[in-house]
Amino acid sequence: MGNVYIAAKFLMDGLGIDYVIPPLNSKRALEIGTLYSPEEICLPFKIMMGNYIESIEKGADTVILTGSCGPCRFGEYAELQMKILKKLGKNLDFIVFDLPSDIGFDELKRRIDKIALKSPKNKKEKVLALLDAYKIINLIDSLETKAKYKAGYEKEKGECKRLLNECKKEVLKTNNPKEAISILKEYHRRIDNLKIDKSKNPIKVAIIGEIYTIIEPFSNLYIEDKLMDMGVSTKRTLSPSWWVYNTVLLSPLKLTARKIRKSAKEYLPIGIGGHGQECVGEAILSYKEGFDGAIQIFPLGCMPEIVSKSILPSISKDKDFPILSLVVDEMTGEAGYQTRIEAFIDLLERRRRYVLSRS
Amino acid sequence: MFLKVGIPKGLLYYKYKPFFNTFFEELGAEIIESPDTNKDILDLGSTLCTDEACLPIKVFHGHVEKIKDKCDLILIPRIMQIYKREFICPKFCGIPEMIENNIEDLPIITKAPIYLFSSDKFFKWAYETGKILTKNFFKIQKAFERAQNEQKKFKEGINDKGYALKVALIGHTYNIYDTFINMNVKNKLNKLGVGVITHEVVDDNVKYLEIKKLFKRPFWTFAREYYGFISYALKESLIDGIVYLSSFACGIDSVIVELIKLDFKNVPFLLLKIDEHTGEAGFDTRIEAFVDMLSRRKRGNLA
Repeated sequence: MGNVYIAAKFLMDGLGIDYVIPPLNSKRALEIGTLYSPEEICLPFKIMMGNYIESIEKGADTVILTGSCGPCRFGEYAELQMKILKKLGKNLDFIVFDLPSDIGFDELKRRIDKIALKSPKNKKEKVLALLDAYKIINLIDSLETKAKYKAGYEKEKGECKRLLNECKKEVLKTNNPKEAISILKEYHRRIDNLKIDKSKNPIKVAIIGEIYTIIEPFSNLYIEDKLMDMGVSTKRTLSPSWWVYNTVLLSPLKLTARKIRKSAKEYLPIGIGGHGQECVGEAILSYKEGFDGAIQIFPLGCMPEIVSKSILPSISKDKDFPILSLVVDEMTGEAGYQTRIEAFIDLLERRRRYVLSRS
Repeated sequence: MFLKVGIPKGLLYYKYKPFFNTFFEELGAEIIESPDTNKDILDLGSTLCTDEACLPIKVFHGHVEKIKDKCDLILIPRIMQIYKREFICPKFCGIPEMIENNIEDLPIITKAPIYLFSSDKFFKWAYETGKILTKNFFKIQKAFERAQNEQKKFKEGINDKGYALKVALIGHTYNIYDTFINMNVKNKLNKLGVGVITHEVVDDNVKYLEIKKLFKRPFWTFAREYYGFISYALKESLIDGIVYLSSFACGIDSVIVELIKLDFKNVPFLLLKIDEHTGEAGFDTRIEAFVDMLSRRKRGNLA
């Protein structure tokens, strides 16, 4: 899921636990996943199933997953996936992290111990490994944010995208978390020193919507790469590090994403599960920050996003701010998708030229 | 003040109609219910609503559109939670916003959230809403109490007796009791000599016991109720099969159906999907075939 696997890899490296990285998401993973998943479940479930099965083929025997308790479907994933894999005759150990309020602290501790006991390292090293992993995910997310924003300004076309891909390849070669951090820092420097053309005024688009489909590039057919190729600057607030920060650290204090939620208040005053409220809030924030438009992405049948999708047109009308909604599932055809994105970007460019919208 | 309050016959109306009707009547409002779902309402709903939404949500839009010009206030129940630590569908939590943004020229709508698990929290809603109709706090309080008593008297659930075969009819309240969108499936089954039992018949406490065998406590009220009911009914051999009535693209059903299928493998299971294009002929054929299969199974078991 997005860059999470990179951080998870180094966490396991740091803990000295054996792990398997599933092959990057591919058509094959999706096909396998779709075959064994319930028909009407959402896309993330299907891709995850594909990942599990591909990892089992490579020898994995434990799955680590976070849980939640509703109202979005994600919370029921673990239960169903366990049962389906069992039916397929795969014997896997599932370790599910749920909120302590739901399973109790003892249970949570027991589940953490289950992982911790497999590690040969002592307590201090374990905590350090966790901190390193957190650092890595933050570094890689901020690197991506930079690259995607700068893509609109770069002098040599495609430079940002190349650097980003190179960095990911480079980082996966090492097994040492410390080394990974220094590689990431090096690439941060390179991106910072990239030649840019400040006179350019690229189209700026915010990517909003359901978290899994926007951070996992395979599930949204690499929309951010496509936009980078078109010389569009993109911004996406939701990222793995955002999730860790807001869900794991802030949610016990009920401080999650305050700024975004405040912006959403006028249109959607109550949290409706998933990231529905965030989606609405970000649309308004990106309007205020002077973006040209926003693209909402969500998997077919996603319940919270259906609510936000019915709200977005009103925002679009009230604020004169174009928003494109894209729905993805295993049937999404790339050509039609590409056409819609191009048409949307065309529209934004023309608006600038003729409507002389705010600039 | 004399107001006309519109109540759309959609979603959980079928479950809570005694409460809402009594509450507004006690406050001196005239109640305007939308007509039973019909083709017109369904078409209106499908045009107005977001394409991706499920059938019940679309139908609800249709009901609101139908009565919006006839009343001063429309009840849009934003039901957040029915039981503590349990949820219902996220779309319910956002329904006022969906209505507001999809339908134009609305009268006032009720937007306060409803938490049904505690009387205090529920009263907050009653007060917020009652304020629109009257300034008298005690009047609201009285109306609220009356309405709650009325709701308690209301017996839901179907439990047919005297049929050779019996199936559990599972599905959301608004799919099971809206005879237009489910094409009166209960009647169809009855005509074929099959009795129907629904989950409300079995006590909640029993269901809580049954779900203990799941790895994770289901956090959807619907999931707990259906799963618990099926599990209990099978243990007590109350039923010969399961008919699951589900609306297309229902997120909750996609999970429950799979859970039931995986956990109760040797039980005849018929999944009926309904959406705005469902044809009645195909529906009939599937039900007939299922009933045939049930009766053959029964004969086989007896022999």
